[in-house]
Amino acid sequence: MRVLLVDDSNSIAMVVGQMLTDVGHEVLRAKHGQEAVDMLTADNKVDVILLDWNMPEMDGLEFLKYNMEKKLVSCPIIMMTTENKPEKIVMALQNGAKEYIMKPFTQDILVSKINSVTAA
Amino acid sequence: MIDKYIYDYFAKFVFEKTGIFYPEKDYYRLDSRINKLISEYQCKDAKEVYDKFQTHRSTDMEQFLINICTNNETYFFRDDKPFKALTEDILPNLQKQYPGASLSIWSCASSTGQEPLSVIMSILEKFNSTIRFSFDATDISTTALAKAKKGKYTNLDVQRGLPITLLVKYFESVDGGDWQAKPEILSKVKYSEFNLFSTNFPINKYHVIFCRNVLIYQDSKNKAQILEKLAKALVPGGYLVMGAGESLIGTGVNLEQVTLSGSMVFQSALL
Repeated sequence: MRVLLVDDSNSIAMVVGQMLTDVGHEVLRAKHGQEAVDMLTADNKVDVILLDWNMPEMDGLEFLKYNMEKKLVSCPIIMMTTENKPEKIVMALQNGAKEYIMKPFTQDILVSKINSVTAA
Repeated sequence: MIDKYIYDYFAKFVFEKTGIFYPEKDYYRLDSRINKLISEYQCKDAKEVYDKFQTHRSTDMEQFLINICTNNETYFFRDDKPFKALTEDILPNLQKQYPGASLSIWSCASSTGQEPLSVIMSILEKFNSTIRFSFDATDISTTALAKAKKGKYTNLDVQRGLPITLLVKYFESVDGGDWQAKPEILSKVKYSEFNLFSTNFPINKYHVIFCRNVLIYQDSKNKAQILEKLAKALVPGGYLVMGAGESLIGTGVNLEQVTLSGSMVFQSALL
């Protein structure tokens, strides 16, 4: 599967990249929402997006709103963030996120969440 | 290095109390348990804890060993399919068969509560409050039961198997990043301590019994005995739900195997 990771943290990118390539996924990376928009405008063939909340330029929520309006991609989007207040989770779901991963997490959680949104 | 007679002793004790069988080739699986016992009871080595256990153990010490030997691995909506079978097939069938009755469900190795709560969330999502049911949940481990009764789960617990929409609907965020099951689900479960290996099986009859991934640790004789008792605890037409890949083969238990929503379950004879 082709996974786009949108996260400004290099250490998260390294860990998540390893977790996903271990199980055979291909991982692309954007450092913030705007870079993801640019990448997806050029080529939107991804199967799932992992989206951080707090990032420079365009944050995760702004990316969700942008995507709802412009319909850039139709693949499932999973928020992956330290924001774990219920009201934040609900806000992300209302703006088009399909699942939500709260940091910290483990490889089994990451893989099963991806499976759950892509199997549906 | 733990001497073989010590392994033999603890393996026999655990088997007699719980039916969980450690063959010699699996004695290494007792290492961490014996080490926990050593540390909990401040002994210097396996020999000392063995002597203490043999000569003047308390019931607390026995229960401690039972708690750490029972496998508590569990997560929300484990295997997924049985929950669909329950709400799509089993409960509608039982409603037809027992019109107006309150349906009784038993999770007989409920561990830390993820299975009972998954069942209840499935029922509420499908039927809202249009179905009457009661839910008994039992386990041999007192530590697992204590956690289940509290209904408080870590950030990692709630991310294993539980869809995010159900998390925000049925749980509240509490201090330290934990999540508390709301009373609307937690209060529906009646938890109590029970050993499946016991001879005193409940007098209650159940419409549905969940016994998943439990009997895989039992030898074939115990497995057959427990299944026989579970079958007797079902109402006519009641269902036994076991783990994926578990079957009644070789047990002689007389339940009919049926496949519902892709899940293999076992039904007692209708009246």
